[in-house]
Amino acid sequence: MAAPHDHIVKSFDAELERINGEIARMGEMALSQMQAAIDVLNRRDSKAAERVVINDDAIDELERTVSNDVLRVLALRQPMARDLREVYAALRIAADIERIGDYAANVAKRTMVLNQSAPVAPARSLPALAGLAGELLGEALEAYRLRDAGRSASMRDRDAELDAAYTSLFRELLTYMAEDPKQITPCTHLLFMAKNIERIGDHATNIAESTWFLVHGEQMSAGREKADKTSE
Amino acid sequence: MTNVQIAVQTSTAAPEPATAAKLTTRNLNFYYGDFLALKDINMVVPEKRVSALIGPSGCGKSTLLRIFNKIYSIYPKQRAEGEILLDGQNLLDPKYPINRLRSKVGMVFQKPVPFPMSIYDNVAYGIGHYERLKKPDMDIRVEEALRQSALWDEVKDKLKQSALGLSGGQQQRLCIARAVALKPEVILFDEPTSALDPIATGKIEQLIADLKRDFTILIVTHNMQQAARCSDFTAFMYLGEMVEYGSTQQIFTKPSKQQTEDYITGRFG
Repeated sequence: MAAPHDHIVKSFDAELERINGEIARMGEMALSQMQAAIDVLNRRDSKAAERVVINDDAIDELERTVSNDVLRVLALRQPMARDLREVYAALRIAADIERIGDYAANVAKRTMVLNQSAPVAPARSLPALAGLAGELLGEALEAYRLRDAGRSASMRDRDAELDAAYTSLFRELLTYMAEDPKQITPCTHLLFMAKNIERIGDHATNIAESTWFLVHGEQMSAGREKADKTSE
Repeated sequence: MTNVQIAVQTSTAAPEPATAAKLTTRNLNFYYGDFLALKDINMVVPEKRVSALIGPSGCGKSTLLRIFNKIYSIYPKQRAEGEILLDGQNLLDPKYPINRLRSKVGMVFQKPVPFPMSIYDNVAYGIGHYERLKKPDMDIRVEEALRQSALWDEVKDKLKQSALGLSGGQQQRLCIARAVALKPEVILFDEPTSALDPIATGKIEQLIADLKRDFTILIVTHNMQQAARCSDFTAFMYLGEMVEYGSTQQIFTKPSKQQTEDYITGRFG
């Protein structure tokens, strides 16, 4: 179906645009929080890590704003068809981004704990994982911005790469722990951090699926390859 | 979060009626003089379901509704071509008895117009045209019709009072009782709540939901939320054509035609 025309009631378009703007801002903030979390891990900077944790409040606040705006549109405009899917997707995507922000803050929190002991070698593998997760999140947000369902579908297929990278890091950390019991505490923190980053990929996938639903009005097919094999 | 399925149906064709076809139009065209107001309408109205006709003013939805009980035939220069089958019989056939049609297909209009007589007589008046009933039998029929139209409890103590003293919503339910009293099979509603407040509107909508147990219902409405709330099937009409006809859920969540999407999301023009 072609791109929709403007609404006869102009303020309706303005409200939908406002929600879009809020989500775009949330997405940018979540991406930069992720980068900041990895940056403070690399630099072992606990002060900066604290700032990352505090900054998460702004994403939470924006999510409440989106929820309020969506509720208002539902109550006052009674959206239907594509409009209904727009606000429904906005609500879901805002919740996903909010969760992604939480994971980035969690990574920063554990950095502060890691900094209390000597640096460990496997911490160097985490940035690559985070880089891939950030790339997928950026792609999911861009596909949403462009309402490009095809791009969403390709992004979702790439989540398997992240799962595979996580599985490999998981094994690496197990090896370190097996070799030296003194590594168990820092490596356990790193495991949680890696899991947080892997979960960011899952939420990015949710964003891609919401975009698909928004465009096509049906759920994306369920056939997603699962490559996180750490539970097998 | 639960995975709410807003739209799953992708059918673009007219819906498979869940029940038997009550009314079927075949290549129906309608003229006001030389003006072709309805173009080649093919539609199946399922029995004991609510079907809604929506579309902008002048799209032909009221015209279509009025053909189903041939109310147009009292006006000169209006004519319908094609076929409308009511239980398999073509009601456009000049040999189809008009009295039988009117008793089978009742109509409720936008503005409630009670006759200037008592509440009781408003309901009994129509019955008297078709049946000779003794007073006790007539009492039973009147009560039955008033109960079916959810008005009985409000009027049972003042049946002899003038119907003109009722509120707008009550008057409309009286008009529905008048239609129901003849035991029709189909009831046509032409914007039945556009003159009513939200509470009276809610009562009529509940009534429509109750009535579909016994009757096939067709409703013309400008209120899209009302079509979405009340109907099982929805037809979108534009410039005398039926653009799309489908299950109400499909039409309001995932219409297959751009024109339908534009109209129901308020983008038309």
